[in-house]
Amino acid sequence: SSVQNNQSRNAILVSHRQKGNPLLKHIRNVKWAFADVVCDYLLGQSSCALYLSLRYHLLHPDYLYYRIRELQKNCKLRVVLCHVDVEDVVKPLLEVTKTALLHDCTLLCAWSLEECGRYLETIKMYENKPADLIQGQMDTDYSSRLHHALTTVRRVNKTDVVTLGSTFGSLSNIMDASMEDLARCPGIGERKVKRLYDTFHEPFKRVV
Amino acid sequence: MVQFHEHIITDLLEDPAGGLVILSSGLSLPKLVSSLLSLHSPSQGTLLIFSPPPTLKSLILHHHNTNPNPIEITADLPSHHRLSLYSSGQICFITPRILIVDLLSNKIPTSSLAGLIILNAHSISETSTEAFIVRILKSSTQNRNQNNSNVFYIRAFSDRPQAMVSGFCKTERLMKCLFIRRLHLWPRFQVYVSQELEKDPPEVVDVRVPMSKYMVGIQKAILEVMDACLKEVRKSNKVDVEDLTVENGLFKSFDEIVRRQLDPIWHTLGKKTKQLVSDLKTLRKLLDYLVRYDAVSYLKYLDTLRVSQSFQSVWIFAEPSYKIFDYAKKRVFRLTRSSDVKLNEQSKNKVGKKRKLKGDDSNEGEADGTSSSTTSSGVVLEEVLEEAPKWKVLREILEEIGEERQRVESGEEDQVESEGVDNGIVLVACKDECSCMQLEDCIMHSPRKYIFLMKVLQEEWKKYLLSKVELGGLPAPEKKKAKLKPKEPKGFGILDGVVPVTTVQSAEASSTNKQEHDVLLAAASKIRNQYKRGLVVEDELQPLADSSKKGAKEKGKEHKKRGQATGQDSGSKDNDSNIDTVIKDLPEISGSKNKSQTVENDQAAIDGYYEANLQRASVNKGALQRHAEELGLTGSRNAKPIPPVHFHALESDQPILDILKPSVVIVYHPDMMFVREIEVYKAENPSKKLKVYFIFYEDSTEVQKFEASIRRENGAFESLIRQKSLMMIPVDQNGHCLGLNVSIEPLGSSYQNSTRRAGGRKEIEKEMQVIVDMREFMSSLPNVLHQKGMSIIPVTLEVGDYILSPSICVERKSIQDLYMSFTSGRLYNQVETMVRYYRLPVLLIEFSQDKSFSFQSASDIGDDVTPTSIISKLSLLALHFPRLRIIWSRSLHATAEIFASLKANQDEPDEMKAVRVGVPSEDGIVENDVRAENYNTSAVEFLRRLPGVTDSNYRAIMDGCKSLAELTLLPVEKLAELMGGQKAARTLRDFLYAKYPTLL
Repeated sequence: SSVQNNQSRNAILVSHRQKGNPLLKHIRNVKWAFADVVCDYLLGQSSCALYLSLRYHLLHPDYLYYRIRELQKNCKLRVVLCHVDVEDVVKPLLEVTKTALLHDCTLLCAWSLEECGRYLETIKMYENKPADLIQGQMDTDYSSRLHHALTTVRRVNKTDVVTLGSTFGSLSNIMDASMEDLARCPGIGERKVKRLYDTFHEPFKRVV
Repeated sequence: MVQFHEHIITDLLEDPAGGLVILSSGLSLPKLVSSLLSLHSPSQGTLLIFSPPPTLKSLILHHHNTNPNPIEITADLPSHHRLSLYSSGQICFITPRILIVDLLSNKIPTSSLAGLIILNAHSISETSTEAFIVRILKSSTQNRNQNNSNVFYIRAFSDRPQAMVSGFCKTERLMKCLFIRRLHLWPRFQVYVSQELEKDPPEVVDVRVPMSKYMVGIQKAILEVMDACLKEVRKSNKVDVEDLTVENGLFKSFDEIVRRQLDPIWHTLGKKTKQLVSDLKTLRKLLDYLVRYDAVSYLKYLDTLRVSQSFQSVWIFAEPSYKIFDYAKKRVFRLTRSSDVKLNEQSKNKVGKKRKLKGDDSNEGEADGTSSSTTSSGVVLEEVLEEAPKWKVLREILEEIGEERQRVESGEEDQVESEGVDNGIVLVACKDECSCMQLEDCIMHSPRKYIFLMKVLQEEWKKYLLSKVELGGLPAPEKKKAKLKPKEPKGFGILDGVVPVTTVQSAEASSTNKQEHDVLLAAASKIRNQYKRGLVVEDELQPLADSSKKGAKEKGKEHKKRGQATGQDSGSKDNDSNIDTVIKDLPEISGSKNKSQTVENDQAAIDGYYEANLQRASVNKGALQRHAEELGLTGSRNAKPIPPVHFHALESDQPILDILKPSVVIVYHPDMMFVREIEVYKAENPSKKLKVYFIFYEDSTEVQKFEASIRRENGAFESLIRQKSLMMIPVDQNGHCLGLNVSIEPLGSSYQNSTRRAGGRKEIEKEMQVIVDMREFMSSLPNVLHQKGMSIIPVTLEVGDYILSPSICVERKSIQDLYMSFTSGRLYNQVETMVRYYRLPVLLIEFSQDKSFSFQSASDIGDDVTPTSIISKLSLLALHFPRLRIIWSRSLHATAEIFASLKANQDEPDEMKAVRVGVPSEDGIVENDVRAENYNTSAVEFLRRLPGVTDSNYRAIMDGCKSLAELTLLPVEKLAELMGGQKAARTLRDFLYAKYPTLL
């Protein structure tokens, strides 16, 4: 299993069930190998995927449900990769959506084998990628970073950030400030003071 | 008020339940509506009007003269205020979004409402909020209807018949969903209308101006290219061929025709077809601008097109396109060898003489230019500056009018009837503000006949050259283009025509290109230098003037040359010459139409005008008032026999005819709607004499387009009349219209499923509830959910858009929204909060019914995983929020079905709870926050946003350090240990201790 472990770190493990699926031709940016896995594609330590063609679903409406039931719960991300290959999608897609949603699976739709392959590749490649790509652009200069951090505290606005910065001179000073010092800042009311103070001084973890 | 308006209103009022009125465009819908509004009395109840677009609203208010004025209900009004307005009996403008929310939250006493007026019937569909409102209002006022005491009425209007026939049975379906039984059609050819408008029609003068030879050439070339593009589109076999004609191609709606056919399969189309569709749009614009822009602006537009589009466009590579560019250039300048200069000047002189003989033949406009030359490597740049043929004609018409009036005034003919004509203003109607201003420059500010026409062009020319210099600043794309074009001919099929041409000529062409480029740059930099030296005003007319100014002889020569082409006698008279001289001069000029009088350059006058022009250019905003002011000003100053003129841009949508009461209208750019407005204006003022001039370009697409627009409207009405005779509108026993009943589910293949299961009966036994965020009422989904039989509860939600059950929360994204909110990061935050508060957080990706159901075609996917792709973003979202569920919905109706089936085994959502979710209570603790029990959430969030802290190390930091305050005290070594690296630790520490930049 240690061999498999090593393999699984940099390759997609593909179930033998998927032999002959033309989709495999389109996994090109990531290595893949057949292995004994319950899911169709094991994409990482905590993510796996089932492949479902809508046309197949129309013939075997119960297939998806049984496959999902087999999956162990240890995967955090369980993808149902749905290949939309029929014209009239509304009814079959409704069924697939409902099954996936109520059995803890994330549904991803793709309209071509290329797209299916790209989803598998991407999930594998982005396994450990931080989310900043979808968190919006953030300026990296000092004041916007400071603004970005301080505004996590509810109701703290741009003006407050300037007030705090110019009063205390640095972030560490703000974090060390007493309740009275914070309260002396114009525009920062009682509640905001408490929220700020709690953010800085309450422990990260509440459980003792 | 015109009589047929009375007819319309009487007809409409016949049915107490209302009706739908479709009338020809230009038959003054605003006037009709305001006279209908004046019939409203508060005792009937409150009358609601869906807010029309601002221009239409202001027109209605302009005509509305009875008190009190309609009130505007906006979201800013507090709800109790709104409530009192609903029962006030007044007329209120209201947006559908506010009305629906107030209706659903039972804030409106429906018994106190008299009726509803809809002004944009053509833009309503079964799923729009307007239809939703009507359905609810109708069902809640049903009892009232049975008593028949005071029926709630719905009156809908549209003045866009074409829009009412797009799509299958559009009008019939619209009437059903608005619960309207009567359809009233009022085309222009209706008996009452035509009788009244044709009883005493205005005097019409149709002026056909021939286009210049190059304009004809360009038009022909564009049409050829369009035809070629259309043939290519047809070849793709994806579109219904019938609609694809060049004539249709002249209209904006052509894009709609094509898009409507192609949208469902858009992703399956190759790049080629997509490009062809957008090329057709470009070509249509080129055709339109050809008759609207002056030669220089047109060339400029073409140049920008070439720079911005050359790599993708197909049309540029078609053979006739070469002609478009070539002719456009020839209208502005040409290059000659310097040895030819003399010869050329002579030939120019000859041309000038020829013109003299030809008299007023205006289409040889090319000779009108001053020729100035800029020498560079033996090549001479020669200005041609062809003026728009219409300019001269307009000028002549105005002078004719002025002359006639003067004759009348001076008492040559003392007739009584002519008095009426006399002092009226002359209205010149153009399409856009830009041509208005240009024409104004041409006409109003020219001390003598043609100088200013030239000046306007030269102005443009100068700007053009200057912009060339700016382009020269970044020569890279220009050069690249010149090199690549012959190498990579991208055309295909019929459009491939240019390939042989370019290969044969490539060497030569590129060298001429370069020469041309150099010469233009030289000329431009010269002008720029002149500007720098502050010689702007003096040198305005001739780029070479600074040299010619020194020698009077040279100067004379220059002017003589120009004078032959454009000048007129001015003698010693200047700007403020007295009226007598002018009057004496005028008959001579306009009578003999002699264009070859020599001119003595009157520098002072020109300077003055130039300065005026500069000032005007700086205050370019064309407001009605400004026009009027200036008008008075120039009128008194000029003291020329040009009558008072007002230039009106049709785009500005102002009731110009009623404001100015003109006695002469010159339609510079023909437009069907405006023609109708003139007719109505005349019918309303039968005693007024009205003369209308139409200036068309002969054999141009302008004429074609004008005629086709009338044909199209008539066609639309004919089809509506046919539809009306076949219409089936369900009616109940009391004679009330039934519309699309709530219990009748919309048809669709997907319904076979539910009908089978429920045996054809309604499957929903108990009433399902959905909590909907207020902001969602911009979309049609709440309406469709309501149609499905769910009850809609509008509230303001902090988290999510739709709450289906205590555990299911849905964030809806249309495709466009999805892309945008990925980019802005909004989606990430929204999902984050949903995940925090709900067990089943759902992202609903909703496609549009008439667009393709996919993100991209297989060929667009590319070979590599790219961070910008939607696939990458969705994958990343799924990886970071494995608990997030995604619904992919084909359409609104599919969404409604999915919602219903998801809710089937779930509890109903709790309104009070849903509203509180995500809103912190007084002490800052958020209810139901799964993490809040265990973590100081804002501290964790704060920590994660600090530089150096990443997804992989923030947990370790939280383990090794109790709170944020403690973090500042940790030594760097400890930090490095926790954060897994010296670098990250130093980044964090530097940030914490960085000095905040002082405000000074």
